[in-house]
Amino acid sequence: MMLLKLAWLNIWRNKRRTIITATSVFFAVLLAIVFRSLTDGVYDNMIHNVVSYSSGYLQIHQKGYWDEQSIDNTFQEDQQLYQVLLKNSKVTHIMPRLQTFALASYANKTKGVLVLGIDPIKEREVNNLHDKIVAGEYIESVSDNAVVLGEGLAAHLKLKVNDTLILLGQGYHASSAAAKFRVKGLIKLGALELNNNVVYMPIQQSQYMHGAENRLTSVSVMLDKATNLKKLKQSLQESIDSNTYEVMSWKEMIPEMDQFIEADSTAHYIIIGVLYFVISFGLFGTLLMMIFERKHELGILIAIGMKKRLLALVLLLESIMISLLGCFAGVIGGILFIKWFTIYPIHLTGELKEVYEDYGIESIIYFSSHEKIFITQTLVVLIVSILLAFYPGYKVMKLKPVEAINS
Amino acid sequence: MVKTIIDAHNVSKTFNPKTVPVHAVQNVHVHIEEGEFVALVGPSGSGKSTLLNMMGGLDEPTAGSVIIDGVEITKLSENKLIDFRLHNIGFVFQSFNLIPVLTAKENVGFVLQLQHVPKMEREKRVLTLLEEVGLKDKINSKPGELSGGQQQRVAVARALASKPKIILADEPTANLDSKSAANLLDIMAKLNKEEKITFLFSTHDQRVIKKARRVITLVDGKVASDVQQTPT
Ligand SMILES: Nc1ncnc2c1ncn2[C@@H]1O[C@H](COP(=O)(O)OP(=O)(O)OP(=O)(O)O)[C@@H](O)[C@H]1O
Ligand SMILES: [Mg+2]
Repeated sequence: MMLLKLAWLNIWRNKRRTIITATSVFFAVLLAIVFRSLTDGVYDNMIHNVVSYSSGYLQIHQKGYWDEQSIDNTFQEDQQLYQVLLKNSKVTHIMPRLQTFALASYANKTKGVLVLGIDPIKEREVNNLHDKIVAGEYIESVSDNAVVLGEGLAAHLKLKVNDTLILLGQGYHASSAAAKFRVKGLIKLGALELNNNVVYMPIQQSQYMHGAENRLTSVSVMLDKATNLKKLKQSLQESIDSNTYEVMSWKEMIPEMDQFIEADSTAHYIIIGVLYFVISFGLFGTLLMMIFERKHELGILIAIGMKKRLLALVLLLESIMISLLGCFAGVIGGILFIKWFTIYPIHLTGELKEVYEDYGIESIIYFSSHEKIFITQTLVVLIVSILLAFYPGYKVMKLKPVEAINS
Repeated sequence: MVKTIIDAHNVSKTFNPKTVPVHAVQNVHVHIEEGEFVALVGPSGSGKSTLLNMMGGLDEPTAGSVIIDGVEITKLSENKLIDFRLHNIGFVFQSFNLIPVLTAKENVGFVLQLQHVPKMEREKRVLTLLEEVGLKDKINSKPGELSGGQQQRVAVARALASKPKIILADEPTANLDSKSAANLLDIMAKLNKEEKITFLFSTHDQRVIKKARRVITLVDGKVASDVQQTPT
């Protein structure tokens, strides 16, 4: 108690210096928080958009499907499974799919395509697929006898809305699958892969075509953006029959995106690291000044019977107090900043907006307000201030009382 | 029965032994008994501070030993020595004795906190001590708000707080005007009488020397004379 009080009083002996030092910590923390929050927000948004078209945050498929993505590794649609999944409060949507490959032809053109059997209603709730229609119309129900094509694929096949597409593929248990469909609409997708290859088909039509009634390749699961993926994956896996089903996360299914984010984050960590390094020098300088100008007093304290350990502890507390003062102000500033931009988000305009939309990503800048960001910054500052206090502490341990008193 | 409280035995101190040796204190023998009121005098550079520092365990002699109340402090480890000082020796230095951010009361109480004296007892003792040095009305003043003489009196109160066996004071009046110096000495003499605390102080001031009951004179690091006197 006495030591805390003493440390607190000591840091205010030179108000201006303490304020300057704490302010520098404040700006470092604020910058780091805003920076992390911005990049995390952008990542989260990117992930959300990408997985909403592709894998989902988590995907449930039959055990073994991922290694051999064949129609024979499908499973029976199961309402009970849906109920179990939707019971989890973190799960926002589920999207059953039957995903196969087929040969598409129109007139004299032929191309291998990805046939996505979807529930058009469930799908549009998640990824606004209907908004991406550039010609014709979106499919309405699971049994609609029509398909929607990626714009790039349509261009390749030289096909227009209302033309008839022929699909040839392999059905369930080596049966053959062939069917004709009216092209109801064309869709423009940011992901070129999909845009050039995808055929969206109502799921019942797809099941019928493949002779796979009521069968699915996967159920994609959408979650709140800020959910802890690992934990949820585990809890979902535990809640369903693990002999039949396997749960995979987007990180496993789209490792490229995960790696990209990791590499990008590393660069950001380096920038923030440099920032903290610079600030550390300021704090260190202040700590050195604080012991050099107080040498006489420190000598007296040792002379009258204060253990050097206690004295070093006081200096440590002083270091922690100055930096945490700045840190807390920075965290509060960061929270206000992020709150503000959550209420009034930044809408991108001009070219940037187009680039985003071309990739099918919402052109709004989100700031992540994950508590992890604030906790990390506080911990970093705390650790830095403790590490920096080692040198003054060491100086105190070496102090000779007579010399100190005479200085 | 008188008890030897300080026994400096054949103490020597040489600074810079390898380069330009300075023999600050040479083969000094000093015995001081409980309750004595001793002035250590001598010309500048004669070794007064050096000897006091060694007696207080702030500095190590190059040779010889210092025994305080039967404990050979020259043999104690650093941490034991700090603890020994906390419980047995009070110090008053020439100036800037106090922690500037704490009030007079807190400064005096500080050593008691280091000794883990409970709050109630601490408060009582601090008030008694500050009253004894005549600063009852200044208990909540910071050192910066006190005169030099008042600061030294707080320092004396602090030195007394831990109930030490001896108080060592290196030129406690050097920065004081003669009136404050006399006042401080009177207080020290009173405490010496009433609380049986042994005082050993160095000084240049003739009027201060007169108040001592024993005067040890150092010249060139050696004891030149050691006389008893009647204080005036
Ligand atoms: N740390 C040191 N290093 C080298 N020499 C020292 C040191 N401390 C003291 N001395 C020398 O030792 C001698 C005795 O010094 P000391 O300070 O004990 O004298 P003093 O009697 O207290 O003098 P004053 O009356 O001026 O305070 C002096 O010659 C001084 O220069
Ligand atoms: Mg001296």
